[in-house]
Amino acid sequence: MIRGVLRKVVAFLRSAGLAAGLMVFVGVWSMLATFVPQGDISNPEVAAWASAHAAVEPFVRFLGLHQAFSALLFRLGVFALAVATALCAWQRTRVALARMQTLKEAAIADEASVSAVHDLEIVCDPGLSATDVISRTADTLEHLGIRTKRRGDVLVAVSRRWAVWGSPVFHWGLVLLILAIFVGGLQRSEGLMGVAVGETKPDAPASYGTLRSGPLHDWGRVHRSIRVDAFDTDFRSGNLDRGPTPTVSVLDAGGRVIKKQPVYPNSPLQSGSLTIHPSEFGFAATLSVMNASGVEFGRATQLIDISQTATEGTVPVGALTVSNEAGTGQLSVFATVPMDRVNGQLALPQERVARVSVRASDGRPVLDRVMRPGEEMALPAGDTLRLDSIGFYARLNIVDDPTIPLLYAALAVAMMGLTLTVVARQQIVLATAIEGENGLRLVATLRLWRNVPTNRNEIESQLATALRGDEEDVS
Amino acid sequence: MTTEIVLMWAALTCYVVATALFVFGVTFTKEKLIHNGLLASALGLLPQLAALGVRWARVGHGPYIGYYEVANGLTLFVVAFFAIGAWRNRRLSAAGIAIMPVAVLLLGGAMLASKTGLPLTPNLASYWLFIHVAFANLAFAAFVASFGLAIAYVIRARSASGTWAERLKRLPAQDVVSELTTRFVLAGFLFWGIMIVSGAIWANQAWGRYWGWDPIETWSLIVWIIYAVYLHVRFTLGWRGERLAWFAIIAMPVSLFALLGTPVVFNSVHGGYIGGVDG
Repeated sequence: MIRGVLRKVVAFLRSAGLAAGLMVFVGVWSMLATFVPQGDISNPEVAAWASAHAAVEPFVRFLGLHQAFSALLFRLGVFALAVATALCAWQRTRVALARMQTLKEAAIADEASVSAVHDLEIVCDPGLSATDVISRTADTLEHLGIRTKRRGDVLVAVSRRWAVWGSPVFHWGLVLLILAIFVGGLQRSEGLMGVAVGETKPDAPASYGTLRSGPLHDWGRVHRSIRVDAFDTDFRSGNLDRGPTPTVSVLDAGGRVIKKQPVYPNSPLQSGSLTIHPSEFGFAATLSVMNASGVEFGRATQLIDISQTATEGTVPVGALTVSNEAGTGQLSVFATVPMDRVNGQLALPQERVARVSVRASDGRPVLDRVMRPGEEMALPAGDTLRLDSIGFYARLNIVDDPTIPLLYAALAVAMMGLTLTVVARQQIVLATAIEGENGLRLVATLRLWRNVPTNRNEIESQLATALRGDEEDVS
Repeated sequence: MTTEIVLMWAALTCYVVATALFVFGVTFTKEKLIHNGLLASALGLLPQLAALGVRWARVGHGPYIGYYEVANGLTLFVVAFFAIGAWRNRRLSAAGIAIMPVAVLLLGGAMLASKTGLPLTPNLASYWLFIHVAFANLAFAAFVASFGLAIAYVIRARSASGTWAERLKRLPAQDVVSELTTRFVLAGFLFWGIMIVSGAIWANQAWGRYWGWDPIETWSLIVWIIYAVYLHVRFTLGWRGERLAWFAIIAMPVSLFALLGTPVVFNSVHGGYIGGVDG
């Protein structure tokens, strides 16, 4: 009984109607998702849409359309489609195996076997000889786009056996692709890491500003660091301005450079499963703190982002905390770099200076000064804050995904299968002339599965005309 | 710029003339007019190719960026695909009555758009751009061919023994037209698939992610799914005849929307190829 139920479930999942229905579901869902802003309710765009469409918003939220491509309903649909695709691939494999066997048998068919088993008979004009019948049949088929070979007294047009594998390979490629995407989601880590020029950061979760890491990504096995060696605001290569470009190095656990290169769009740094792309850039202000005797006891780098909405064009990324030498009396230090404006647009400053603001632990402003590199500012407790330098930092998009080759392989397999489906003809045409009670007859076996430029009706009627006899289909 | 525009108007004129010849040829069952329509279509390719060559030399890249260039590329492929197909199988020429108006509308729209040459942004500067765009154009051309044949099929089916069946009698038999429609859909499905795959590989190289559910990516997948459903209902559910033809007719405008409409309607990281803002 369990086997019977299981068989029914498999038959249902394998059914063409379900597959088409699931594809329609994924298509319609995706369409709807493009018209609904994506993100959680804290996203201003989502919140604005929700208030503007109050009537449908509860329904949209219930379905999960604001996070459409991670919603449970969508995942279930894709999962069902994946299962249906796998079952469909299996079914097509069985069909291909059966067709291969048929093609194998057809490839060695002779006059006797075609005479014994055929599905088309045409009584020929009594005035025609067997040679005429074969010749006219070959010409007619060629006119219809089927080129035959002559083997003894049999006309043969049989596809090669690999021709039947297009559709199964395509479907298995899709299954492999879905698997690769699923495994990739478990393995992949992707995040943004801000690194100032000259700075080296370990490739560890703490170094990232934002990070998404799959549950199977093993950080314990990652022992490398990322360094930004240089930054060029107008990097040119191949006679093209590549835009702001950092030169990035990947170092192994011993600090040896594994790979180093300028990183710009379409030219990522790739090292094993690691890929590094440029994302954004900004300024990096290095500040140090000295005690009353002038001895430095702390140094840190403030990353500063360029922002179209900020008054002076930049905003600090977080704050630096400065304590006195005893580790008490904490102050927060924020640095920004005022940008120039050219025709109302932000432009990199001709002279780089930093606006340094110091706040007490309760948020009360303590100091606010514009400083040039090398300048110092006295802090309330007697220490001194010095602006050492203003340089650039690169925010790098760092992806570690070992499944990318698998994904590419799946895409390649799927496309090869699809190409085969489109171009490879699947046909069996066997014909011979036999003498019978009613005179000379053409007997033929026709299997026109895929990509044949004509059809059975056309072949039958044209052959009947060419051989000037009565048509008789025995199929 | 002037030479390019003059050549482009010459191409558009050829396509308009071809459309008119197809309309008159089919309506009045004049085989010669249909043949001349095919000639005019092929003739129009020459000034269009020349105009695009002049522009390529001037702006330093192929027809990839901005509505004018993208619509131009699509038109070129649609007309070339049709002209080659109809030249090889003359019985298909009459389908020009449905295909050439698409080319005229596309190129006419392009002629009304800004013709300023936009520079190649760092994000677009990749050999993947050529592959991606070439297959998008090929796919669209195949979909338009299936659209034209499907329209011819529906017209004949609706006029089984009437005037239009007589006017379109030069086309192959209905079941052959239906089969050809499916074969063009299958070819377009393959080309569109390669377009998506090349786009995914390129996105991974340019941005570090192969798929981001960006509206343009999503709509390209939607189009692929629509044609996958077409192929499924044809091959596994056994749909035939008029309803399958209607499917091909309705699907083509969706592919056009995915190529030209989505960058206008949605904010997208791909938007630059129409607006020229960024890649």
